[in-house]
Amino acid sequence: MVSKTEETQVNRLENQVDNGGGGAWEYLCLVRKLKLRRSDKVLKHGLSILNDSTKRSTLGSEEWTLYEQVAIAAMDCQCLDVAKDCIKVLQKKFPGSKRVGRLEAMLLEAKGSWAEAEIAYSSLLEDNSMDQVIHKRRAAMAKAQGNLSGAIEGLNKYLEIFMADLDVWRELAEIYVSLQMYKQAAFCYEELILSQPTNPVYHLAYADVLYTLGGLENLQSAKKYYASVTDLTGGKNTRALFGICLCTFAIGQLTKGRNKEEKD
Amino acid sequence: MAADLVLDTAIRDWVLIPLSVVMVLIGVLRYFVSKLMRSSQLPDAKIVKEGQVIIRARNLRASANFIPSKSFRARKAYFGNEENGLLFVPKGQAQNAQAQMFSDPNMAMDMMKKNLSMIIPQTLTFAWVNFFFSGFVAAKIPFPLTQRFRSMLQNGIDYSTIDVSYVSSRSWYFLNMFGLRGLFSLILGEENATDDTQRMMQMSGFGFDPSKSLGAEKDGLDIIQHEWALPKFEQRAEATLRKLIS
Repeated sequence: MVSKTEETQVNRLENQVDNGGGGAWEYLCLVRKLKLRRSDKVLKHGLSILNDSTKRSTLGSEEWTLYEQVAIAAMDCQCLDVAKDCIKVLQKKFPGSKRVGRLEAMLLEAKGSWAEAEIAYSSLLEDNSMDQVIHKRRAAMAKAQGNLSGAIEGLNKYLEIFMADLDVWRELAEIYVSLQMYKQAAFCYEELILSQPTNPVYHLAYADVLYTLGGLENLQSAKKYYASVTDLTGGKNTRALFGICLCTFAIGQLTKGRNKEEKD
Repeated sequence: MAADLVLDTAIRDWVLIPLSVVMVLIGVLRYFVSKLMRSSQLPDAKIVKEGQVIIRARNLRASANFIPSKSFRARKAYFGNEENGLLFVPKGQAQNAQAQMFSDPNMAMDMMKKNLSMIIPQTLTFAWVNFFFSGFVAAKIPFPLTQRFRSMLQNGIDYSTIDVSYVSSRSWYFLNMFGLRGLFSLILGEENATDDTQRMMQMSGFGFDPSKSLGAEKDGLDIIQHEWALPKFEQRAEATLRKLIS
């Protein structure tokens, strides 16, 4: 999670760097630390440091971290040539490194040569079957190919070991929703609520899933979760307010004709 | 008479400064040696999984009231199942893990390496200090101290008449050994390996048994009473909305 102060700091630095005010390296460090995805900015400012040999040499051994960061950002922006150059430099410096091998596999993936990337990832996993990043990349690759059930399988296998990984639960929930497997999605959202009970985003998503599932009990639960979102956000979430209205209406439809005690 | 004890400047040049310099150099050397010997050890899937199970069970226990009771019961059964639940540890296996830890040659090797890089230089420097520098009054601290500090500052000198603010050479060695950590983190980077106290903590934590904490989590889950918190939220939401309107 990114705290408020860190967010303002990042935005301030980004503004400063964008207007040519310096501090690019601090900005890149902060982005890396907070794991933000601002690939275009990272690519632009990282490259400006890497192309300037005096600036680059002041970084010392951090230079290689920057190469890695820029390479990943470049792949995200589809600047495959830049990524290739960065990886080449890293490979010259660290021949046989697994971390560089991971980057190469990612480059293959970015190019869209799925089969080769899959082979590369598998061989990396053979060396270290506990590499979380590679497991996630494989699932992402399956998703990119449109093979959603493959992605689900991968994520489930991953969660069997790393079952406290929130982001993966969230990803899995979203895939389940897109496949209309709402019961499974509900389970994932429950898991997310359990680990962060005061995060309204998860409550809202869970309520959506429950409402979609339908049925009296689910609708009542959905209404409660919409209410909790309203409470947690101080009544500023329109979706939750609308959700409460819809739930109330649907419950009213279902319980028409029954006696009033059951309505509650 | 104790107050006007004059220290020879040669003591400063030949005892105090060499001792500190040697301590720093040994610290740096040890850092690099331990860096060379450190083997990157792959985490075992089972241990990682147990750790993650504990985190998840703890989350479940802490915020059980935020999910419907049906879901809670399903999870409780899943975790605490007597046959194949995640938190259930078969009897006899607990002992096994401990034994396996000691029979694993890699683990023993790792421990020995750590010990070697810690104990050998320490004994050597201590012997060296004892041999060459024993009995020197090496320094004077600029403020008076009570008698209780005598054993800390005048280790190796058995005169009770010397003022406590004088530091003996052996005590200077000990002060350096524990006090140079800040300097090391400055010159070797934050995560330097010379942190003795931390390592000792790790040593005592060795032999930690994950199955025990699994059992504890299971007991915690068993006694927990589920009370769904969400119905309360409806009233609270109503209150917040009312406040917003008014």
